[in-house]
Amino acid sequence: MKYIKSIFPLALAIIWTYALHNSWGTLPPLGKLMSPFHGFWVNAEAPESAELTEENLQIPGLEQAVTVVYDEMAIPHVFAQNDHDLYLAQGYLTAKDRLWQMEFQTHFAGGRISEIVGEKGMVSDQFQRRMGAVYGAEKSFEGMKEDPKAAITLQAYSDGVNAYIESLDERHFPLEYKLLNYAPEKWSPIKSALFLKNMSFVLASGTDDLKMTNILRKYGKAVAENLFPNYPFVESPIIPVGTPRDFKPVPIPESPIDFIGLGSAMKTPEKDPNIGSNNWAVAGNKTVSGLPILANDPHLTLSLPSIWYQMQLVAPGVNVYGSTMPGTPNVIVGFNKNVAWGVTNVGSDILDWYQVKFKDASKAEYWHDGKWKKTTQRIETFNIKGKKSFVDTIFFTHHGPVVYLSHEKPFKSNIPVGHALRWIAHEKSQESTTFYKLNRAANYDDYAQALTYYSAPAQNFLFASNQGDIALWVNGKFPLKSYTLGKYLLDGTDPKADWTGYIPQPHNPHAKNPARGFLSSANQSSVDPSYPYYMGWQYAPTERGRRINERLEAMSKITVDSLRGLQNDNFNIRARTLLPLLMAQLTSPKAGVHAQAAGELKRWNLQNSVNSVGATIFENWVLMLQDAIWADEFEADDQAPMSRPSMDRTIKMIQDEPNAPWWDNVKTKNKKERMAEIISGSFTASIDTLVKKHGVMGPEWAWYKHKQTGVRHLIPGMDALSRLNIPIGGGGTIVNATTMKTGPSWRMIVELSKEGKPRAHGVYPGGQSGNPGSAHYDDLIDTWAKGELRSLLYLEKPEDVSGRLRKKIVLSTKK
Amino acid sequence: MRKPLSFSYKLAIVLIMVVMGAIAGIYLPWFALGILFAVLAYVLRLPAGNAFVLGLISGFLLWAISAFWIDMQHPSSLPGRMANLFPLGGSVLGLYALTGLLGGLTGGFWSWAGAKLRFN
Repeated sequence: MKYIKSIFPLALAIIWTYALHNSWGTLPPLGKLMSPFHGFWVNAEAPESAELTEENLQIPGLEQAVTVVYDEMAIPHVFAQNDHDLYLAQGYLTAKDRLWQMEFQTHFAGGRISEIVGEKGMVSDQFQRRMGAVYGAEKSFEGMKEDPKAAITLQAYSDGVNAYIESLDERHFPLEYKLLNYAPEKWSPIKSALFLKNMSFVLASGTDDLKMTNILRKYGKAVAENLFPNYPFVESPIIPVGTPRDFKPVPIPESPIDFIGLGSAMKTPEKDPNIGSNNWAVAGNKTVSGLPILANDPHLTLSLPSIWYQMQLVAPGVNVYGSTMPGTPNVIVGFNKNVAWGVTNVGSDILDWYQVKFKDASKAEYWHDGKWKKTTQRIETFNIKGKKSFVDTIFFTHHGPVVYLSHEKPFKSNIPVGHALRWIAHEKSQESTTFYKLNRAANYDDYAQALTYYSAPAQNFLFASNQGDIALWVNGKFPLKSYTLGKYLLDGTDPKADWTGYIPQPHNPHAKNPARGFLSSANQSSVDPSYPYYMGWQYAPTERGRRINERLEAMSKITVDSLRGLQNDNFNIRARTLLPLLMAQLTSPKAGVHAQAAGELKRWNLQNSVNSVGATIFENWVLMLQDAIWADEFEADDQAPMSRPSMDRTIKMIQDEPNAPWWDNVKTKNKKERMAEIISGSFTASIDTLVKKHGVMGPEWAWYKHKQTGVRHLIPGMDALSRLNIPIGGGGTIVNATTMKTGPSWRMIVELSKEGKPRAHGVYPGGQSGNPGSAHYDDLIDTWAKGELRSLLYLEKPEDVSGRLRKKIVLSTKK
Repeated sequence: MRKPLSFSYKLAIVLIMVVMGAIAGIYLPWFALGILFAVLAYVLRLPAGNAFVLGLISGFLLWAISAFWIDMQHPSSLPGRMANLFPLGGSVLGLYALTGLLGGLTGGFWSWAGAKLRFN
């Protein structure tokens, strides 16, 4: 008894300490985390002094010394004496600011989140791997290594990241490791490939083939084609109409016979219509300086740490500045002495599904081209935290990985049929070579040559040079398809439905120095229907592209500042067409909030500005209207999800088809609704929801309060590390494309100069440091929200004196 | 029964615990604090009744003051963010207190354990 009494406090102390040393569910290891000597307190960083400080760091693997100067935004300007050291330093410095993010994003890409968060990460992990993320990264890495320069680059970058990881002790781990209670692992070059592959997931994995097949099954081909046309009614394509063709098209494959697939439900992400981008370049004859100006703002999910990290990279043969992506070497969007380039996403159809007919439950063979063919298998192991590891077998046909349906439709589990995924992201590729060469490009030819290495995700690569050229290539690897192949699910047994080749790269849509004096892209249709190849039937809504082209057409004597104005343009071009159509149908409400709101809309200046109440009313009305028209016939149904017709098609129907059958709400029996009723009814309903949400009409209805743009931490739900309710205007179909979770993730404007001294401006909604304890964690967000840009410091040599420099670090090799 | 400890003796013990705890914190894992306090309580022959309170006060002071000190030396928005995460309504004072409490209880339990092992 006495013995137990003396041992009891010890047992209590041990249990207490054990409890505080480990994480429990989402509760972090409190002891480790809160200890002022080990935990988050260690991550607090004092703001740097305004004086230039100097320090020396020793890094294993460097061949010669590297000088790094940081400016007041904490952007490193790196001066190396050879390529190897340049990329080693890039890896090291990026990791120094962004290690957790780099690792987390590549873990996510590779389907390894469950190693960190346990079983709840499995849904996403299994999806990533079954979609072939790791398989694709391995293949793409093979391709990248074939270019010896890219191979050196990737290896040096990896060595740099590892040099940083090895320099860390546990108490200096980035905050998120402490919150989630794990440690960084060694980096490897394939992680860079995984990161680049993940961009295909982000930008080019959307697919509604299944939803289209479900529509085909329910309504037939005539309706499907009528409601989902293959080119918008109103469009301003990226390649100007009438651009002369400088190639002779190759023959187009024959179409397969029509196929009506089985349809059914499967979890694939919907194409997020808000992930898009803008870029444009104006020729010297339209600018005050007489030289081209290039602007770019890629729209992505807004996150902290930001997806971008600014850097200047200098070594013999290269002096490039721009935004890099933590996890991969080189600058992705930027400029050098002579040229500038920017990217937006191409919405072409490079992902198709093939209904597979297996011979039996073993799935060892499948039927194709009149014979049984062998599948291949790939084993994926999931090391789930706190659980036994899970082994998954993925079956591949010659199309690609098969994604089973059985667990989602158990009543069909006896049917050995799934769909095989054919996706450009599974191809061997050399994106790293493209960026390596773009960073060094001196003229149009260098740029065009760099693009020949690029596969996916396809981008509108915009270009401008100080020789006066502007150009745009819709670039990537595009399957050579018969017209509309892959709009619906395809027959996996029919060889005519297979991809048989690619559009020859020199035939990719392109334009150089067009007569109109500018080029632009905003994810709309790449080309007009006269282009000889089929690329896709559905692109981003046309509004941003139309607005940009209309403005650039009208603008002259263009300056950086006038283009900054265009990047922040809040004009609602959709409302210009749609609002008068709707108001004409609206039964005028007599009194009360509905009349008040209608009055507000009539007075609205069509600007989605920060405090606009009209914008809130219009945008909410459009959403409810789309529901009112389409939800009854195209209701989201787990068993057979369907797409909804586009806004372009809907506007056409309001204009020209007041008697279309779709106006009727099929849910109301014995009643046939007409267009005016649906439009007025949706107005009333949308005002009622606004009142419910925000109270009486007034300042609480301000557009930004309704839209709630936020820049959120990469860990879902980490509001304390996020910036929410940012006062900014814009919207999904507005040039200033800021929505709740997405928006311009990097804004850049570069004015080229004959003397090789480009004047560049840029900002992104975040900050250079990934550490929430740093003043540079989110210091650029306010500038971004105000629509301002920072002037970007382009140095020629490390000795350049600038009042903006704060810190100098000399990296030398470790003996 | 031993004589009750004098105030200055208690103060000296707290000082020793805080100083040695700081050194352990700088060089060893976080839980070294507990083991150190247990050893001190054992070696210094602290009565079990006093050991818990002395360990608690020492651990609290060490962690709370260190946290405060770091915050003064490295002013940043991090403590405010963490005080929202926990959630303490963004109160950094509350965060110092929580930090101190965790250090204090760790110190207290282990001192008690150390003392109990000797005077059983």
